[in-house]
This record gives sequence, C-alpha cells and structure tokens, in this order.
Amino acid sequence: MIQDYLILSIILFCIGMLGVISRRNVFTVFMSIELMLNAANLAFVTFARLHESMDGHVLAMMVMAVAAAEAALVLAVIILINKHKGKLDTNIFSLLKG
Amino acid sequence: MEHINTYIGLVPLFPLIGALVLGLMHMLTCKTDKYPDKLYGIIACIGPILAFCVSLILFFKLRGMPADSRYLIHDVFTWFAVGDLHVTMGFLADPLSSLMILFVTFIGSLIHIYSAGYMAGEENFGKYFAYLNLFLGSMLILVLGSGPVVMFVGWEGVGLCSYLLISFYCKDTDNVLAGNKAFIVNRIGDLGFVLGMSFLFWAIGSGGFDYHSLRENAHHLAPSVGLIVCLLLFVGACGKSAQIPLFVWLPDAMAGPTPVSALIHAATMVTAGVYMVARFSFIYAHVPTAGTIIAWVGILTALLAAFFGMFQKDIKKILAYSTVSQLGYMFAAVGITAYSAGIFHVFTHAFFKALLFLGAGSVIYALHHQQDVWKMGGLKEKMPTTYKTMMIGALALAGCPLFSGFFSKDEILFSALATGHTGIWAIGVLVAGMTAYYTFRMIFLVFHGKPRDQKAFDHAHEPPAVMTVPLIILAIGAAFAGVLNLPSLFGGSLAVSHWLAPSLVEHHPHVSVWIEITAILASVIAFAIGITIAYKKFADGAVEPEFSGFAKWGANKFYIDELYNCVIVQPYKTTGSLISAFIEPKVTDLPIKFFTWLYKKLGASFKVFQVGYVRVYAIYMVIGLSLMSLFLSQTIN
Repeated sequence: MIQDYLILSIILFCIGMLGVISRRNVFTVFMSIELMLNAANLAFVTFARLHESMDGHVLAMMVMAVAAAEAALVLAVIILINKHKGKLDTNIFSLLKG
Repeated sequence: MEHINTYIGLVPLFPLIGALVLGLMHMLTCKTDKYPDKLYGIIACIGPILAFCVSLILFFKLRGMPADSRYLIHDVFTWFAVGDLHVTMGFLADPLSSLMILFVTFIGSLIHIYSAGYMAGEENFGKYFAYLNLFLGSMLILVLGSGPVVMFVGWEGVGLCSYLLISFYCKDTDNVLAGNKAFIVNRIGDLGFVLGMSFLFWAIGSGGFDYHSLRENAHHLAPSVGLIVCLLLFVGACGKSAQIPLFVWLPDAMAGPTPVSALIHAATMVTAGVYMVARFSFIYAHVPTAGTIIAWVGILTALLAAFFGMFQKDIKKILAYSTVSQLGYMFAAVGITAYSAGIFHVFTHAFFKALLFLGAGSVIYALHHQQDVWKMGGLKEKMPTTYKTMMIGALALAGCPLFSGFFSKDEILFSALATGHTGIWAIGVLVAGMTAYYTFRMIFLVFHGKPRDQKAFDHAHEPPAVMTVPLIILAIGAAFAGVLNLPSLFGGSLAVSHWLAPSLVEHHPHVSVWIEITAILASVIAFAIGITIAYKKFADGAVEPEFSGFAKWGANKFYIDELYNCVIVQPYKTTGSLISAFIEPKVTDLPIKFFTWLYKKLGASFKVFQVGYVRVYAIYMVIGLSLMSLFLSQTIN
C-alpha cells in the first residue's frame, strides 16, 4: 500500500525531471518543476502516514507555500522574458557558455 | 603616594599630544590658509616644557625616597602576552632614567624655543615642529620604558623621526639620500637589537621581560649566551650611536636643519646606545669580554672620528665628527664598566654639544646658510654673544680644566687608567689633544682673524633673542654642569655617580691619588698642546690648505664611504638587478608559470561541459544526485 504511493511519487518525479531536461518551452519547464515539487510532497505525506507523525504534513504545507510564492515570481519572470525576447525558448539564454 | 606613579606616563604623553595637535593643524591647513608661525611655535614649546616640569617633580620625588628603593613603576596596560612572554606597556623612573629625562626635556625645550627663531619663515613650519615633538615623545618612551620591548618602541620612534627630520628639506635629493642612509644603516643596528632581545628572552625572559625581573634573573645567564646578547645589543647601539663600522650615517645626517642636529644627532638620540648599555649594566658587568670589545670599538671610533674632524671644512661636519668621537669616549667608559662616568659624559656632552650646534646654527643663520669655515672669519665683533657662548662650549668640549667636559672626560680617562686599560687611556689622551685642536681650529677660523668673505661678513648680525637666550642658558650648563660630579680631589663628592649607583652595577676601584693626578695632568697637557697648535696655525689669517698625502686621506674620510659603496652597496645592487633580470623570471617563476599553464589547459579541456543551457545543468545535477544516492545506499547497507 505504502509502496504504491512511493512508486507514484517516483514516477511523478521522473516525469518532472525529464520535462525539465528535455523541454525547451519555459512554461513546460516550470510546470515540470511544479510536478517534481508535488512528487516530493506526496513522498512527505506518505512517510508521515507511515511514521504516524505530523512532521511530513507540516513540510508538505511549507513546500506548497514556497511553490505558490515561486509560481508568482516565475510567472512574472516569464512575462518579462516574453517581453524582451518575444519567445519562450530556453535556448536563447546561454550566457554561461564556456 | 600611589598617584605619583601615574605622572611618569605624562612625561612622554605631553610631547606626543603636541605632535598630534601640530600634525593635524598642519595637515588640515597646509593646502589652504595657514596658521601663523607663532601659534605653531608656542604650541610646540608647551609639550616639552610641561614634560620638563613633570620630570622635575619625579626627580625630587625620587630624591626624597631612600636610596635603595628609588624607583617608580607605572604599568599602563598589558601590551601582549604570548606563552611566557608578557610585555607590559609600562614606565620606570629610577635614578638613571630620571637623570636622562631631566636633561632630555630641558635641552629639548630650549631647542624647541631656539627652533622657533631659526626656522622662522621656512616652509612646512608646522610639520617641522610636529616631527620634533614626536621625536621628543619617542625619546622619552625609550628612556622611560620599563622593559626592552618598550625601549625598542621608542628606539624605532626616534629612528623614524631622525629620518624624517634629516630629509626635512626634501626638495634636494642629497638630503633625501642622507635620510635614507641614516635609516638603512640604523636598520642594520636594529636587527642586532632585536636579535639580542630575542636571545635574552630565550635565555632568561620567562621570569618576566622587564628590567627588574631580568636583573633578578641575570645570574642564570650562561656566559656564552651573555656574550652573544651583549654583542648583539651592542650592534644595535653601534647603529644608533654611530660607532665603527656603522658611524657613516651621522656626518651625512647634518643635512637636516641645525636645531635637529643639535637635539637628535648630538644631545639625545645618538646617546641612546650608551644609555642602553648602561641600562643593561647588570648583564654587561658580568661579561668582561664584551666590555673590552665595546671599549676598544669606542676608543677607536673616537680616534678615527677625531682624525676626520681635523680636516673637515663644513662647520656642521666638524661638530658631527666630534659627536662621533665623544660617543666613542662614552662607549669606552661603559665598556670598562665605568657606567656612571659614561652617563655623566652623556649628560655634560648634551649641554656643550647642543650649545655648539646651536651656536653653529646662529653663525649659519647670520651668514645666510654659509657652512664652509674657510669662508668665515672675524665674526667675533659682529656676533659677541654667539662668540662667547660658543667659546664656553668649545672649552667644555676640548676639556679645559674646570669646564664640564673636563670633569666628565677626565672621569672616563681616570677610570680607564685605574682599571688597568692603559692602551685605552693613552688613545683617550691623544684624542683629547686632537679634540682641542679641531675644536679651536673651528673657533679660530670662524670668529678670529680677518673676514674671508667680506660681503657675507658685512651682512652678518646677531640673531634674535629667541635664539641667543637658549645659547646663554646652555652655556651656563656647559660651564658648570661638571660641578655636579666633582671628584673628591677637587673637594666634591661624585654626586651624580652616587645618584646613579642604584640603577647600575659597577665597582669603583680604589686607587691612589697619584693615578688620578696623572690622569688629570695628561689630559691638561693634551688640551694645552692641542689648543696651542690650533692657535699657531689658524688664529690669524690662515688660508685653506691643499691637502696632500695622509691629510688628504683624512679629509676624504679614508674613503670609507666609497669603500662601503664598493664593497656593500654596489654588490648588493648588482645582486638585486641580477635577481630581477635573471633569477626571478628564469628560475623562481618557472613553477608558477607551469601551474598557470596547467590550469589554463585544464580549463580549456573542461570548457566543453559549460554549454550554457539550463537543462544541461539539470542533467548534471541529476547525474550527481544519482551517484550520491547510489553511494549513500551502498554505505548504509
């Protein structure tokens, strides 16, 4: 039973990770990050149930709050990117290229 | 009773505050509107005079105490404590240091007053007095320090001020070079001092590193270590007090303003080495070998410098060599463990040499910076006060009976004879004759005969009272300071020697009166011969001779400067340029260059990983995290 939740969490995390790595659209990358956060949340809650303590719940709530703040910020950033470059392609930024 | 101790700290504090105030005033206003010179002069004189007053209070306080507990200690704070080394910033007033601060502050005050007249109208008037006050503060720290480390603080401070003031007329390159020379030669000496101090600490310093503890532990010092300590400290003294082989800086130091030469390079700073040896008498007294070396170095310096002094034509250089020569006497005295005689000569010398320098300053001032004695002459009528006071100074320097220099020099020569150092005594008598000769050569050339430069003579005039009054006061001191230490032969009681006795470790030999009379007669005869020859040769219309043979060597100072230049300075410079041109770029830089090349190459090969796309970095992160997880899971199982 518990295992199923954890497997679901891993699957979600891997999907998110693959999204971050393979997609070039800023929106998709952002959504994939959210997916990874929620995968982590799911794992937290699962373990909280397993250990019958509230710590995992608390952490999950905090991650949600952080995610909400992050969403607000990132959406603004995305709008600015769009305004500047007219595109939402992550490949237009490669300033760190060696 | 207790609060008197805190007064000791005030002595150096007053001039230091003066230096700070004057320095700030000068720095803040030198670009724009200037304060009047008078204001600077008055502020500058306050510090030394207050310090002198406090010194007097301390002196009389000490006099009121019983002889064997005559010392006051004021520990201000613990400076640092590392392992066994506890260094306290503390001041010690005992008979030796109280005598020193008395005449240092007294003569310092007079020279500050004189400077206000001599330097009037000069550029950077405020800076000059700031330096002069700083010097006096450092000198007082040197004298009053309760341990070697505090003494070293003052020691470096006076060295710095000496450098700054020698190079005071910094628009002329020669003066700057003279300052550099003084500073660098002093560094050699300072290295010796630091090493000596380190050895001393290593040997007996763990029981406390101030004079009292060191004195109590001095008997633990092994003779060989004692010898090393003594000689290294003496190297320091050589640098500061211009002894062979480090005496070359002092004649060049005359590039500074004349009152500076009087205060720093005649009366106070250069005697710091003698003071230091006397201060460490509890070590030196147990190492006779070191004492003998010091005495011989001293007396040979005296001989050499007196010889050079006989051929100089710059009035200040004559006095500079005579200072070196007199310092040689002092070292001869402390070398043969006649510490009180040495310190007493420091004391009287401060008066008559400051007087002679200030008198020379008056002459230079009157003749508009003419320093060549062969261009002077007949100034007796034009400058009667300067003539009379300088005559007293010259008589004292030459050792004319009943003047101060006679008693102090005679005390040294008598001690040399009484302790069986006949060679030192014989050279000392010879030097006494030479001293009389070159001193009166100067006096006769400057003040007697006919003027050699009529135009300068016509413009000459007596300087203002602010300059002549210090001369008169110093002349009184130079004439009568000897009375303070009258030997019993003259009905005195050696008051200064008895006063100093608690601070020093020395034994007065008991010898017959005839030896004393012999010593005195020999000195008097040497003086008479010297002055007679000088009178015959220079009193009336001598012309500048062409030196030849041995005399030419003397006039060129045995080419010692050139020798040092060839043997030390030039090879040093050549080595330096060799290193900078060859060894550094071709040898020592090679490993560094290799590593820069290596990192460049490594960087270039790792560059491919830095593609700049965010998602690639995400892949790296995933790979890293995966490896970490793998590793952790392995270790946990």
